[in-house]
Amino acid sequence: MKQPAINTFRPRMRVLNEEQAWAIHHAALEILENTGFIMEHEPTRRMLLEAGCRTDQEDRVLMPARLADAALKSAPRQIALYDQQGRRAMSLVDDNFYFGTGSDTIFTIDLETGERRRTVLQDSGNFAKLVDGLENIDFSMSMGNPEDAPIEEIYVHVFAAMVQNGNKPICFIADSGKDIAKIHEIACLVAGGEDALARRPFILNYSEAISPLRFPINVMEKLVFCARKRIPICLPSGCNAGGGGPSTLAGAMALGLAENLVGLTIHQLTNAGAPFLFAPNVSVLDMRHTVVSYGCTEWSLTQAALADMRDMIYKLPVWSFAGATDAKTVDAQAGAEGMLSIITAMLSRCNFIHDVGYIESGHTSSLEMVTLADELVAMSRYFVDGLRVDEDTLALDVIDRVARNVGKGAIFLNDEHTFKHFKTDLFHPKLADRSRFELWHENGAKEMQQRCTEKARKILVQHQVTPKSEAVLKGIEAILAHKTYQRI
Amino acid sequence: MSTQEIYNAILAFDEVSVKAKVRAELGAGTDIQTILDDGLVRAMDIVGERFSAGDLFIPEMLKSAQVMKAGLELIKPLLTTDQSRSKGTVVIGTVKGDQHDIGKNLVAMMLEGAGFKIVDLGVDVESEVFVKTAAEQKADVIALSSLLTTTMPAMEQTIRITKAANLAVKTIVGGAPVSQAFAHQIEADGYSADAPGTVKLVKELVG
Repeated sequence: MKQPAINTFRPRMRVLNEEQAWAIHHAALEILENTGFIMEHEPTRRMLLEAGCRTDQEDRVLMPARLADAALKSAPRQIALYDQQGRRAMSLVDDNFYFGTGSDTIFTIDLETGERRRTVLQDSGNFAKLVDGLENIDFSMSMGNPEDAPIEEIYVHVFAAMVQNGNKPICFIADSGKDIAKIHEIACLVAGGEDALARRPFILNYSEAISPLRFPINVMEKLVFCARKRIPICLPSGCNAGGGGPSTLAGAMALGLAENLVGLTIHQLTNAGAPFLFAPNVSVLDMRHTVVSYGCTEWSLTQAALADMRDMIYKLPVWSFAGATDAKTVDAQAGAEGMLSIITAMLSRCNFIHDVGYIESGHTSSLEMVTLADELVAMSRYFVDGLRVDEDTLALDVIDRVARNVGKGAIFLNDEHTFKHFKTDLFHPKLADRSRFELWHENGAKEMQQRCTEKARKILVQHQVTPKSEAVLKGIEAILAHKTYQRI
Repeated sequence: MSTQEIYNAILAFDEVSVKAKVRAELGAGTDIQTILDDGLVRAMDIVGERFSAGDLFIPEMLKSAQVMKAGLELIKPLLTTDQSRSKGTVVIGTVKGDQHDIGKNLVAMMLEGAGFKIVDLGVDVESEVFVKTAAEQKADVIALSSLLTTTMPAMEQTIRITKAANLAVKTIVGGAPVSQAFAHQIEADGYSADAPGTVKLVKELVG
């Protein structure tokens, strides 16, 4: 009888047990019931009180655990994101992972001069184009707050730049209910109408509550807007250990989760079943330099823990980070920190993984870092695919054939089995250099950063982005110029 | 122009197709030299170029040589003595004290693919055997391989007695512990860091 195939174990990581996970969750619920939060958005405050929250003598809103539980039940377990041409691009659920860039950096590393300078609108376009051309990067974020865009509509302009230069899904930032409506308008134009966008969203909003436990008006406007329009949103706070939260990771996570549960509850009370991406950002505030670290080992640990809590408790896809660094250039530190966060994010099955390409603790964006991370993601991806064991891969006939004929000059390299398998069964790096010293030297003795620069330049010059229609492009120009345009 | 199809079939690593196309050309009465030059040899030239550019991998290079050889076998009986003459003879082996042969076998295979006649002496080969065989075979090149640092003196010894024998043969060395500097030091005629480089080196030395 034919025996069942040997299943492939896909390596994965756990950092919490059930006891730890539930203890952190219960701490989060206790924070909501006992400490409560400041809600500055009056309509939302009323909605929460009607739903069963109460206020204490300091006017803080206290939330019963049952409201959070109900929200966790009504939010969808899976979020589907589409590309800008309406094709399914991501299924944010369970073990699936996707990588993308970050937003809001002030500086970027100029690809031609290597200089660190203020970002301009063109940079956001370039990052979107690079993402479009890289195989292992799945979504775009603006990667800059450009100095040449009008500051009151800066997020609308970077969104337009991304749409004009790429077709992958976009995670966007907005300031308030005002600019988010404009961004939504552009997105509707691209998707072919509001219904089409709601059915096949290519956008996901990133907004932040303010730690500890403060919910400002502009943030609530965005949350409510997205809930009503069924645009996927995440609302992680910056409860970094020692900064927005206590310096101990468990407490910082509990605080972040409490804040996240407030967001989720408001979101589900506004429109039950609307898509919400869960989990806070729990990095650390560096105790020497007071910067929030983007290369620290702690953030990788907390997000792995949050992924564990997703599996054990929340059952909602999670927001996370990777492929970033505190280094000022794409150097050895950048490679090491980038890889640590990428491989652990993947091993713990974080879902929506952003900030790829951040250097200098998120103050600076780097096209080279994104390019490097693309390869690190590919390496990690190979690793988590696991090791296939079957008759074909055990290759006993091949071993027998070659071993018996070594005297006649047989080598595995020349065997049919090798020819059939080597390309798909082995990982072939594109940027990592494995050449012999002589060849490496002959080719200019280039280091990794230089190879990343060259690859990024090549993509920006050669990659063809499928262009948007003339009508869409004209519509975007009109929206940016505050003129009326032909709706599609 | 169906020598182009032979060329394409080699680049597609398709042995069955190469044989069929060569037979078809022979049937159509195409000049043997044209089949050889425009089909088989031209394809191998481009394979070499693509490999150097990093677009092809070693197994693909070996496969294309094997596929080319299958086509060549069909026209071999029809070749004139001049056309079928090999590009040169290479005596190859791993030196005394060393049993490693993967690198040596790869070099042998690639040299053969490039049109050289190979006399493979295997592993743990005495210096005298290299020299004796080279003399008997009127070899153009003796290629010495070694993986173990401890067997490097055996290379030096082989080169010394080769020179003493006063043969018109070049000596080349390769393997993990060997470098260009070491090759100079022991007065070898050539060194290459890898197998494709060895093919280039031998072509230069013999050509």
